[in-house]
Amino acid sequence: MSSEGRVSEFITGFLAEAGELLALANSSLLTAETSARGGGASPRAVREAFRALHTIKGLAAMVGVEPIVALAHRMESLLRAADQGVTRLTTDGIDALLQGVRAIEQRVQALRLGKQVPDAPAAILTRLEAIEAGPAATPAPPEAHLDLEPALLARLAPMDRDQLLQGLAKGLHALRADFTPTPEKAAAGVNITSVREQLKARVEIVKVIPVSVPATAETPAGLTFAILLLAAFEPDQLAAFAPQAGLAVRTLSAAPAPPPAEPELELEEEDTGARPGVVRVEVSRLDDAMERLSALIVTRHRLARAVADLAATGVDVRPLTRILAENARQLRDLRAAVLNVRMVRVSELLEHVPLLVRGLGRNTGKQVQLVMDAGDAEVDKSVADRLFPAIVHLVRNAVDHAIELAPERRAKGKQEEGLLRIFCLQRGDNQLELSIEDDGRGVDREQVARRAQREVPQTDAALLELLCLPGLSTRDQATTTSGRGMGMDIVHRIAVDELGGELSMTTRPGLGTRFTLRVPLTITIVDAFSFDCAGQRFVAPVSMVEEIIEIDPRKLIRGPGKGAGLVQRRGEALPVLQLSSIFNLTSSEPATRAMVIRRAGEATGIAVHRMLGQQEVVVRPMEDALVRVPGVSGATDLGDGRPTLVLDLAALAGTMLGKEAA
Amino acid sequence: MSTLHVVFKVAGNEYALPAGDVLQMESFTAATPVPGTRPWVTGIMQVRGRIVPVLDVRKRFGLPSVEHTVDTRVVVATLGERAVALLVDQAREVLKLEDGQIKPPPEMIAREANGLVKAVAQVGPRLVMLLDFAKLIGEE
Repeated sequence: MSSEGRVSEFITGFLAEAGELLALANSSLLTAETSARGGGASPRAVREAFRALHTIKGLAAMVGVEPIVALAHRMESLLRAADQGVTRLTTDGIDALLQGVRAIEQRVQALRLGKQVPDAPAAILTRLEAIEAGPAATPAPPEAHLDLEPALLARLAPMDRDQLLQGLAKGLHALRADFTPTPEKAAAGVNITSVREQLKARVEIVKVIPVSVPATAETPAGLTFAILLLAAFEPDQLAAFAPQAGLAVRTLSAAPAPPPAEPELELEEEDTGARPGVVRVEVSRLDDAMERLSALIVTRHRLARAVADLAATGVDVRPLTRILAENARQLRDLRAAVLNVRMVRVSELLEHVPLLVRGLGRNTGKQVQLVMDAGDAEVDKSVADRLFPAIVHLVRNAVDHAIELAPERRAKGKQEEGLLRIFCLQRGDNQLELSIEDDGRGVDREQVARRAQREVPQTDAALLELLCLPGLSTRDQATTTSGRGMGMDIVHRIAVDELGGELSMTTRPGLGTRFTLRVPLTITIVDAFSFDCAGQRFVAPVSMVEEIIEIDPRKLIRGPGKGAGLVQRRGEALPVLQLSSIFNLTSSEPATRAMVIRRAGEATGIAVHRMLGQQEVVVRPMEDALVRVPGVSGATDLGDGRPTLVLDLAALAGTMLGKEAA
Repeated sequence: MSTLHVVFKVAGNEYALPAGDVLQMESFTAATPVPGTRPWVTGIMQVRGRIVPVLDVRKRFGLPSVEHTVDTRVVVATLGERAVALLVDQAREVLKLEDGQIKPPPEMIAREANGLVKAVAQVGPRLVMLLDFAKLIGEE
């Protein structure tokens, strides 16, 4: 397995983990801060913060989010220096680190929203670097930034200067407010002490420097106080805090203060952080509710069975039947309500795709225009979670393999920018159809056949089957993003085996390819047909069955293969497989019904003895290797306390046809 | 040190599993056959809402099947996340086995049992064989 190919899949994982790691970094730093305040050190907290940031850096590098890598790198470096005793971690250093955590959080949030991730704020990086270098080696740039006459600058202690610079780095305004005492002001109780007091509540006063000036009418004392301070607000607001002081305010930084990106981000966060009336729920709680509902449905089956048994003894069960009917309706409504809670919008599922495409485009040097339309479609969380990796594979293949480089596209008379479309629609009440379409080079039949060492497939369906062979790659060279395999086997496994859906493809040489996934909206509870075959009861999801037909055994044309035959359906020959033969079940009577399914675009009938009914069933997975067989997707309890097999008819037909061919 | 063991009978011989690994024991009613599985997999059954494979220990040992009787039991044992029901002729005893009682299996038994017996314990006149559950259920 190639790890380099799975880069983009990490994004979801990254988002999940980054949150935890950032929380850990925060709490460790706060612990360290408490120790530092008391004059001590907390090596363990420092090391924990270091590890958290180190991991964040690694993860961010994997998903290629440079700004986070840059920030985490600086922070990690400072923490390492602190851990090794090279630098003492002061409260100021911890403050800078916490600021860094905040900046990373903002960028993670941007990533989550699929927004452009802003660059790492230079101010924070510089601050961290300066702290790591230590006070003695405070780098040169500061002087250049403090717009202060040399005479005043000379009277600033290095500590004061650093405080001002760090304030600037934090995005504060470094200001100089000149207070000139006069007898009038003094009479009104306004002196440097009172001004200092008034300002202290609002700003961080760094230093007050008395400056002697020529005595004039304005400066009768020949003295003025330069108050150097840091403020979070605009300079012109300062005077208002000490209205009678007559402050002359100047800014100390010639450079424009903090990058505007930050406040913008904060706003976005507020937008999405607390949506009114929205509750975030852990999936496990939803699963729990579903589990309980499942138990209720099983109980209902038992109840219905008991009533039927009672009726068989001649008891009048009509009142019971009415209650049962009402109960069935209520359960259905309840089920819909619970399912509804578990539904996530497909558009949310696709949120990260733009970022993925951008990254892929950057890595491959291809220009790709992404058009997505998910409409209002929603799928169950469990389906969404499984579906996402499949989408990632298909998108990656499209950008990596299908869409050509700009010069090649130009030469073919195509738009230089490749087009990638993702759209979906809901079919019926339990199926989602999601298509991923590119206008690239199309799949090369001959090449795929050569790689698979098979004959050249004649149909798209046959071609897709070859593509889905494990380990097949259509490129000679592994690309950094797609690794060696195309991962189509994984897409197939997800869509068909895990979700009980379908995967199809249409491709036109030179024009493009479209992959379509058809998956159920929910998977835990399905509407199923129950039927009898050779005395054993089975169920199969209704969504897989196109039609149920009657079979006249006399009109069944037996083929050469075991159990396979042909019947006429609307004037066309329909291949029919006997379920009893597939399962090696023996029965004296011939099958009379067939469920028609569509497999790889071709209709096939699966013949059984009797159709029993249609009901909602809870599908429990059969995970144990001893009983994992193709064609059986799980088991359900129809109310008799015994498991009934849930069949995947399409897969069954597939294994059967495979056996015939072999 | 002593460990509680669940003792059960298959074809006249006594086997044991640590009681800590046994989820439950119950009489056998029926299993739903699953086509396409190994011959010694009788099918599946439901244990505490979970679908569990039923493994016929007789068949696993290559012994002939017998009619199920009122004594027939399933011993549901666990290994990590897995739970497998073992179909046995009889199970009605829990024994405390001292560490000193447990010995490596005699070579003949080890060979006959295809390595599925990992130790034996002498309990008075009885010889109880400790099953290698992991190997039994195909976890090497």
